[in-house]
Amino acid sequence: MTLILRRWWPLPALILLLIFPLVFAEPYYHLLGFNVFLFATMATGWNIMGGYAGYRSLGHSAFYGLGAYAAAIAANQLGWNPLISSPILALGVAVFAMLLGWAMLRATGAAFVIASIAMLLIVRLLANNFENITGGAPGLSLPIPPWPPMLSRLPFYYYMLGVLIVAIIVSGFLRRSRFGLGLLAIRDDEGKAEMVGVNTTLYKILAFGISAYFVALGGGVWAYAQTHISPPFAFGITVGVQLILYTMLGGSGTVWGPTLGAFILVPLSDLILFQFGGSPIHLAVLGAVMMAIILFMPRGIIPSIRGWQEARAAPRATHTGALSMEDLQRMQGGKTEGGSPSEAAAAEHERP
Amino acid sequence: MSKILEIDRVTHSFGGIVAVQDCSLSLERGKITGLIGPNGSGKTTLFNLITGVHTAHSGQIRLMGRSVNNLRPSQICAQGICRTFQITRLFWEMSVLENMIVPIRHVGLRALFGASIYSDEADRAMRLLERVGLDHLRDQPARRLSFGQQKLLELAAVLMSGPDLVLLDEPASGVNPTMIRFIMNLIRNLNSEGVSFFIVEHNMHFVMELCDYVYVLDQGVEIANGTPEIIQSNPAVLEVYLGN
Amino acid sequence: MQLPSLNVVLQVAMVGLLTGGVYALMAVGLTLIFGVMRVINIAHGAFLILSAYIAYWLFTLFGLEPVLSVVVSVPLLFVFGMFFQRFALSRIKNDLGLVVLLTFALALVLVGLMGTFWQTTGRSVSTWYVNEVLIIPVGATLKLRLPWVKIGGSVLAIVALGILWAHLKFSDMGRAIRATIQNPTAAQLVGVNIAQIQAFTFGIGLATVAAGGALFSVIWTFTPGSHDEWISKLLSIIVLGGMGSLPGALIAALIMGVAEGLAAVFMTSYISPIVFYLILFLTLILRPQGLLGSRLREG
Repeated sequence: MTLILRRWWPLPALILLLIFPLVFAEPYYHLLGFNVFLFATMATGWNIMGGYAGYRSLGHSAFYGLGAYAAAIAANQLGWNPLISSPILALGVAVFAMLLGWAMLRATGAAFVIASIAMLLIVRLLANNFENITGGAPGLSLPIPPWPPMLSRLPFYYYMLGVLIVAIIVSGFLRRSRFGLGLLAIRDDEGKAEMVGVNTTLYKILAFGISAYFVALGGGVWAYAQTHISPPFAFGITVGVQLILYTMLGGSGTVWGPTLGAFILVPLSDLILFQFGGSPIHLAVLGAVMMAIILFMPRGIIPSIRGWQEARAAPRATHTGALSMEDLQRMQGGKTEGGSPSEAAAAEHERP
Repeated sequence: MSKILEIDRVTHSFGGIVAVQDCSLSLERGKITGLIGPNGSGKTTLFNLITGVHTAHSGQIRLMGRSVNNLRPSQICAQGICRTFQITRLFWEMSVLENMIVPIRHVGLRALFGASIYSDEADRAMRLLERVGLDHLRDQPARRLSFGQQKLLELAAVLMSGPDLVLLDEPASGVNPTMIRFIMNLIRNLNSEGVSFFIVEHNMHFVMELCDYVYVLDQGVEIANGTPEIIQSNPAVLEVYLGN
Repeated sequence: MQLPSLNVVLQVAMVGLLTGGVYALMAVGLTLIFGVMRVINIAHGAFLILSAYIAYWLFTLFGLEPVLSVVVSVPLLFVFGMFFQRFALSRIKNDLGLVVLLTFALALVLVGLMGTFWQTTGRSVSTWYVNEVLIIPVGATLKLRLPWVKIGGSVLAIVALGILWAHLKFSDMGRAIRATIQNPTAAQLVGVNIAQIQAFTFGIGLATVAAGGALFSVIWTFTPGSHDEWISKLLSIIVLGGMGSLPGALIAALIMGVAEGLAAVFMTSYISPIVFYLILFLTLILRPQGLLGSRLREG
């Protein structure tokens, strides 16, 4: 029974999520669900770069904002509904990210993190100043959704749930693919990966683009849900921080980790925000939670659980520096001293 | 083309220090060539130049006639040169089998959405693992292996990309005599299957017994070359090792 | 576009140079911390603002001359720095990306707390000399107007840097720190207690930014949110100068001060910060070791 549950649990979970908004019918819950799915999607995207490849970008909000502004401008100038245009426009942002990545990824490790912050600041400054395009500091408004006001946030809920499912499927496929293996190799030892033939530049750029795609998609949909965007919110660093936080809590490098982290922390931070009425204290709490996770559970929930299971199942792992007797016997093959099995066989053939 | 690798008057320096000076050597295809010399003589730098970690400031490096000077390491690996490291480098968080799979060359969209390990590749990996006695550890994370096992894994893994030339950086260091004998036999077997070797080693017995030809480096300059017998009695070589 | 007059350019460059002096004091701690521990302290900007707030409140509540606030802020930040390194940073030192995230989280905590307790209105210390300028005639037609706060700030910054330099050069602790910067393994071999040195260095790093913050509070207006802008500036400076290089930080700070001033003349002041961000970005990807420092990659 438990085996079936372990394999097929997403199905009943999905059904619960589909029914949830009908049972909890207030727009507040629909919006909360939307936010959970939104951040889960974007965190899943971020994880492809930050978790699989190990390149933790702190500036991903740049793509979020670009996606938001692209959707807003397309909606205002061309009349495109962001729900339809966002997936397409996000491709454009992804391409931009790949071009940017081609330059940025020459920096590694901590240099990359700082470069990503610098990138975000530059984009935000430009958005503030190119007023004819972006509306400057006051920002842009978007058209109101065309469906009846009674539905309110419900379409956003289901739309984002659908996007999340796609994101998880893509992330899962990538993780189990040769490309994913290459990314993990890059995270483990990038120099070694390059030396054994992995084209690290191509892999990193691709991962960067894919991760930017989901974040930009999220930005576009968020813009529509907010109906108004401005640089401090579209390009605020907090969004990027949240993505990292949720991913780290759930377990970076795993498929479900970011989603788990979002499901736990988004409602929690909503509660905190509610308690403290939006004062800057929520920044402090965000920071404190982040520090706690980094110091006490840096690998996140899922890998930690797996680690405990592993430790319980295989307590007698060999950790000595010497070869065991079994190894020596195995290597010596038959009676021939110091020879491999094939060498012993070859030696047999040479006998007259 | 009997020369698999040609190093043609290569010079490279770091800051003000010349690491390799006007070095020329060539490796015969299908042979095991040794590279010896005191510490700091430029052996590892030469390896780094060959594998594309650095780009030589002057001179040419040719693999089977084709220049590989400006290629990046992953491209050079694709061309057929692979190496192991003095201090063993593996993907520690990955399993033994996964370590074997990463080096396999793969192209195109299949890499994005296909599986990470195909059954024919897994078979090939398992056969190699059997040869080095590690097949029973296939799912163990690499960090759990003993020192000797890690060295073997590193060697087995680079063979997965099907190289024509394998550079070994001190394969016998820190390893007990039985294992050394095993590694020597493994190299001999692989060599008879067509793989050329270029080996840096301090263990003289290892070099003299195994290598067909030896180059000697001192302070970035090649001071002698020849068969092991010739090298052993070369006064310049003896001076470099026994002098200060 | 009309080119600005020589008077304006000279004026702006001179003031930029003075400003650069103050920048140097603010940035030196950041580069020192990196040099010894390969740690990038993203919270440096937040600590700068914190020290500025300390100066502000001591002035507003007790009339204390802002420069003297260092009596409170320097020891406070020094001790906090030592504790933070000892008990938090040392746990995760092997993963430098994680370290950046940790110091970033620390910055968030500080900014959140400051914003909650001291609100987000812009603050600045307005002493009697804040708007005084020194007028220097140059030649027959030019006149330089140099703000006294920047002159004084620059002088005091140089003095503080001098004290730091002397400490590093002549004291035992200073020698140990320099040895650790050059070669941590060798330093350990000759008996340097690395853990102690690292804690001490982080403390010193924060102490210098506390001193910088005292000067900062008089010259600039700040809110908790300003930390964002300032950590970017400081990072740009030390990356340009070469992370881990103290002379590099000084040179880069002076360059940045002048460049920023000139940029403000040629572009509107709203977009001039982009100079810093662009320099930071381009340096990181084109020449990560900056002008004088060690390679960031090998960290």
